[in-house]
Amino acid sequence: MKSIITFIILFFAASAFSQTTISGKTLDKKGKPIAGANIYIDGTYDGATTNENGQFSFTTTTTGNQILIASFLVYESFKVTIDVANFQDKTIVLKESSNTLDAVVISAGTMESGDKARVSVLKPLDIVTTAGSAGNIIAALQTLPGTQSVGEDGRLFVRGGEANETQTFVDGIRVAQPYNATIGNVPTRGRFSPFLFSGIAFSTGGFSAEYGEALSSVLLLNTEDNPDQNKTEVSLMTVGLGLGNTQKWKKSSLSLNASYINLAPYQAAIPQNLDWNSPFQSLSGELVYRYNFNNGILKVYAAFDSSKMDINQENINGPEKIRVDLNNNNFYFNTSYNGRFGTGWQVVTGMSYGYSKNQIGLDLDNVNNDENAAHLKLKIKKNFSNYFKLLVGGDYFISKFDENFVPNLGITKTNGYNSNIAAAYTEADILFSKKLAAKVGFRASYNDLLAESTISPRISMAYKIAKNSQFSIAYGDFSQSPSVDYIKYSKYHQFQSEKASHYILNFQYSKDNQTFRAEAYYKDYSNLVKYDTQAIAYNSVFNNEGSAYAKGLDIFWRDGKTIKNLEYWLSYSFIDTKRDYKNFPTAVTPSFVANHTLSLVTKYFITDWRSQVGFTNSFSSGRPYNNPNETQFMNGKTKVYNNLSFNWAYLISPQKILYFSVSNVLGTQNVYGYDYAKNPDVNGIYNRRAITPTADRFFFVGFFWTISKDKKDNQLKNL
Amino acid sequence: MTKLITAFALFVITFLSAQGQQAVTPATAGQFEQGMGKAFGLWKEGKNTEASDLFERIAAVETTTWLPNYYVALVNTTSAFGTKDKEKIKVLLSKAQTALDTEMVKDQNNAELYVMQAMINTAWIVYDPMTNGQKLSGSTMELYAKAEAIAPNNPRVVFSKAEFEIGGAKFWGRDTKPMCAQIDKAIGLFSTFQPETAFSPSWGLDRALVAQRNCK
Repeated sequence: MKSIITFIILFFAASAFSQTTISGKTLDKKGKPIAGANIYIDGTYDGATTNENGQFSFTTTTTGNQILIASFLVYESFKVTIDVANFQDKTIVLKESSNTLDAVVISAGTMESGDKARVSVLKPLDIVTTAGSAGNIIAALQTLPGTQSVGEDGRLFVRGGEANETQTFVDGIRVAQPYNATIGNVPTRGRFSPFLFSGIAFSTGGFSAEYGEALSSVLLLNTEDNPDQNKTEVSLMTVGLGLGNTQKWKKSSLSLNASYINLAPYQAAIPQNLDWNSPFQSLSGELVYRYNFNNGILKVYAAFDSSKMDINQENINGPEKIRVDLNNNNFYFNTSYNGRFGTGWQVVTGMSYGYSKNQIGLDLDNVNNDENAAHLKLKIKKNFSNYFKLLVGGDYFISKFDENFVPNLGITKTNGYNSNIAAAYTEADILFSKKLAAKVGFRASYNDLLAESTISPRISMAYKIAKNSQFSIAYGDFSQSPSVDYIKYSKYHQFQSEKASHYILNFQYSKDNQTFRAEAYYKDYSNLVKYDTQAIAYNSVFNNEGSAYAKGLDIFWRDGKTIKNLEYWLSYSFIDTKRDYKNFPTAVTPSFVANHTLSLVTKYFITDWRSQVGFTNSFSSGRPYNNPNETQFMNGKTKVYNNLSFNWAYLISPQKILYFSVSNVLGTQNVYGYDYAKNPDVNGIYNRRAITPTADRFFFVGFFWTISKDKKDNQLKNL
Repeated sequence: MTKLITAFALFVITFLSAQGQQAVTPATAGQFEQGMGKAFGLWKEGKNTEASDLFERIAAVETTTWLPNYYVALVNTTSAFGTKDKEKIKVLLSKAQTALDTEMVKDQNNAELYVMQAMINTAWIVYDPMTNGQKLSGSTMELYAKAEAIAPNNPRVVFSKAEFEIGGAKFWGRDTKPMCAQIDKAIGLFSTFQPETAFSPSWGLDRALVAQRNCK
């Protein structure tokens, strides 16, 4: 008996110190060896790295059943229970992880900027260092393909669509009034100061079911999650003053900024094509508060601005100029929460409220309007695996608009509308392999004002043909309630939503600071609003029988690699579109469309001068206009448009920047179109007046100073 | 920038010779000591992937010490400085970042971890100076400020901060004397610095001596 016990003890002791060899090789799905994989026994140091042939071999002192792990960055970790005594010359096949940097991402329609973007078309700094953009997010986006530069308007016109067909979202929540108020033929700019946003996605079509009430495009702005440090920023500009402050605490941070803009000095220095009674002035402020929870982030964004201007507009219909006096007050508030819970669940929820009040004086008459708009949103996303994600969500949009026309003589006319739109959407993200991905979803919505429901399917797919190249396709149906110009007359006419379908084919190549995109699209519009009078009025006869198409090709090339210190991008858009809407007698190309648009943006950094110099050249072919002296409708075409802008940022010291920019360096006399008289003169001729830029050139000089503890940060990004 | 890369390649070599002495582990040492010793040995032989993998395996077992993950981050970051392949740099730095994040979550009061994060940032700046220089130099300085607040007399904190500031000062054509004085101070600190354990970070003196020579 004793000997047996001794024997057992000896046996165990021996096995405890004995070493077993584990060996084998690691292959990928195609049978190619994987070098550099880490193969080990869970809970021990025992393991090895595979060699070039994918082989590994190591010894272990463990016995019995153990968990063997094989891990390698771009592959999914492989776990298997093995019997250490019997794991020699085995083969492990690793599956490529979908959650890696090089998996395919659908790129049809969408151009992204920011840190989280895989392929950045614009970098965050670009918004402000692009010559000619003057800190206007919208102007920088107009250097991307698919957009039309409509100089007298300033808003985004995408692929043959009207400006109101683009919907803007901040942190996923709608902004009902994204532009500063303005008056006819004086261009507007985006309300938001660019430096609060760390990521921008701009979709020119085929976007996700998450976004609705947009026929053409969505612009998604995401506020920065965490500012880097406490700082104070001071800006002194030829057009005004700005002041900003950021405070950072352990879990939260607050950024505030305020600016006062007054164009009086600029208008005094540069000859103006307009007759100003009082220059454009605005006072605005923004606030962003962020609070980081363990599993989520809460953001509050609020913006206020008040602006006014007063001009005498030339009037082709009479010898007297018309005095237009505009006062606008705007308030926007948005709060959102983005958090994770359970395993693979994500929730995004929030609400926004926007209020805009305009008081417009037209000679002795007055127009007052105010708009209240709110958006409530809830979105839940579940990651079932790296291969399947499901999104479900809902939106509720509330809009209330009231307008009073108070004529000098006569009675006040009141128009307006109340609209509530409820929408629900769902979308699945499916990754079939690292090379093939699809997104399938639909959006259902009900509009109580129009008393109609719509269902809009959306589908997109991407296929990677080589390491750096991929094709994407997208199809989607989009609907949007008609613009406020129409639906404020809802009490006289029952309108319907306008509709569009998008078909997109995209090719993208991206490698080492070089990106090439080519996108062909076809857009089919239906249900567009038409009316039968010269101008939209309550007594117009409306219908929803308009239609349109737009097809074209957008090309983008960005290169920051070929020439040292030089970054440049080139955008070219070709568009063929005809639209039968408004009071058009036939389908024609509308006046805001130029068939060819070409932009070249360059930025060159001169280290010795501590300067960045940039040129932007925007070119577009002539735009149509309607000449009532001709029988054919919309038969005129303006001359080509060209604008070369220049900017120079000079770093005086790490925290002081001097910035200079000038637009239209060449002094090209651009014409956007013509206004024709309503009635012919005594000789039977309709007289006209050219619509031109408000001034031939825009000069800007600014000094930006950042005060922070580390003395490193500066406002280069604000420029 | 080329200068910076060369400087870091040199740094890897000097670092390894400094840590080399510790790689000799007595046979009586425990599993942790043996494992760490072996990993340093692999690193010294230039087997960076193998070294990183072993540190990673140790990290998976020894969850109470920050050192193995710290070295995963250090091995991969220094490898990134020595690589020209941009794709590979991304992979190495993301590996370094993951390992460092694991420890940063556990302890926000370790100056060595902040220095490590600052080094990863510096590697990103070298990777794409035009984009990342602007974006990361502010937060990198903030990291050094935090490290300095925690451990004002840690020689790696004092030296790395000064070295990072010299890069900026040269660009602005500023006097580098204050930073050089800091480097002198760091060298003094290296001689008195006592690593907490045999495997605690102790690198940097050789590199600081090179920087000191460049100051003159």
